[in-house]
Amino acid sequence: MRLAIISDIHGNLEALVSVLRHIEKQKVDKIHCLGDVVGYGGDPVGCLELISEHCDIKLMGNHEHAALGLDDTSDYNPAAKKAAEWTRHQLTDRAQSIVNEFEMSHVLDQILMVHASPYEPEQWPYVLTPEAALDAFVELKQKLCFLGHSHVPQIYCERDEELPRMQAGHDFLPDPDSRYLVNVGSVGQPRDNDPRACYAVFDDKEYEVLYHRVDYDIDTAQEKMEQANLPRMLIARLSFGR
Amino acid sequence: MPEIIVKFDDKVIERIVTEKKRISIGRTRDNDIVLENRGVSRKHAMIEFNDRAAIVMDNESLNGTFVNNRKITEEVLRDEDVITIGKYQLIYHTEHSQEHDTGADFDGTMILNTKRQKKLLENDRVEKELVSKYGGSVLLGEENAEFTEFRLDREVTTIGKAKFVHIKVKGFWISPIQAKVTNENGHHVLTNLGKKGKTLVNGEPVTMCNLKNGDLITVGRTTFKYVEGCK
Repeated sequence: MRLAIISDIHGNLEALVSVLRHIEKQKVDKIHCLGDVVGYGGDPVGCLELISEHCDIKLMGNHEHAALGLDDTSDYNPAAKKAAEWTRHQLTDRAQSIVNEFEMSHVLDQILMVHASPYEPEQWPYVLTPEAALDAFVELKQKLCFLGHSHVPQIYCERDEELPRMQAGHDFLPDPDSRYLVNVGSVGQPRDNDPRACYAVFDDKEYEVLYHRVDYDIDTAQEKMEQANLPRMLIARLSFGR
Repeated sequence: MPEIIVKFDDKVIERIVTEKKRISIGRTRDNDIVLENRGVSRKHAMIEFNDRAAIVMDNESLNGTFVNNRKITEEVLRDEDVITIGKYQLIYHTEHSQEHDTGADFDGTMILNTKRQKKLLENDRVEKELVSKYGGSVLLGEENAEFTEFRLDREVTTIGKAKFVHIKVKGFWISPIQAKVTNENGHHVLTNLGKKGKTLVNGEPVTMCNLKNGDLITVGRTTFKYVEGCK
């Protein structure tokens, strides 16, 4: 089985369409989505429709939670809060019903998929340090965990008696005897200084993880955000991948 | 300390600073530098450091080891030499540079220590003896009526219930890493990292606290006395 795993689309339809076209050429069996389809970007409903149509497993992200009114946005930064409120008003009944069916996590044999972390997933912690990765490994029961949320493609490998090893995301063959957290990066708002959309492919026969970076029409995505009067900071960051 | 920057497709994926005399490079996880990809042998190569030089040696690997694009069996490394193994490039720096051109939120520097001495010394000596022996600060723990001393000679000393933390403690609400003691220009700072359980100093919960001689730190069921070393 060959899986494309995407996450953190954040209402960026241009990025999502480019990624789905790229995935078409990768001969994958299924596409799974790790959440945060909405929030920040100008096209939340269009993204939800596409995700609903193309993805098999669909997970809940904190932005879906916020859009459904399940999450308190008081601790969001002002730009994120404004975007979350805007998104909530955009969601039609149909979009709401799509989001309602998203799962918090999904287990496929020896793989866990979750939006933020296996550790206190409902608190949406960021796995960006070996310490946070350790918390995640303590809770993780499977060999591999695919996650998103931080928008930074990263790989953490569990080690004996030491903190997990941290590497930037790159094509790799997981050691079958080791456990890994694999952050697949973000389709719609990358934050690793590379503005291109990011996703990963996992092949369980080759036992291989491949990262892909995809160019997309950033200008159009930004214009849509401007028309929606979304915060400038959120618009500008797409150009830099930060 | 020498530094090795690991790149894949021209992108920095890891930085490694080492004080070891010898580091191994290969695909399996018992290596110091693990390169999990095709074209890398299980035990692919080795770098040995002595006072004057660093030498990279190929370990009869299937696909070879290259220095500055030349296939080698053994080669003395100079600053900024590029070792190529499979799809990876390892850039050797004689000294670890502080200036990092790191990506967003990515500070992947990993320190390879020489085997950490984990054996804890039994102790019932007076504090002065401890300090004069170590010349540094110590945490004196009392658990099961047995004193245990923990030297604060690292930049960061971790306390919690994870397998590998420097100081293990028990307690229901304790996080894998409940607290850390960091050395900041000779002063020790205690930071609570616990999610649910509290870290107490002299009975008061703290988030961050500059430690003073004689402070009592409580983490889970264990209380430690902070004994400041000679400056």
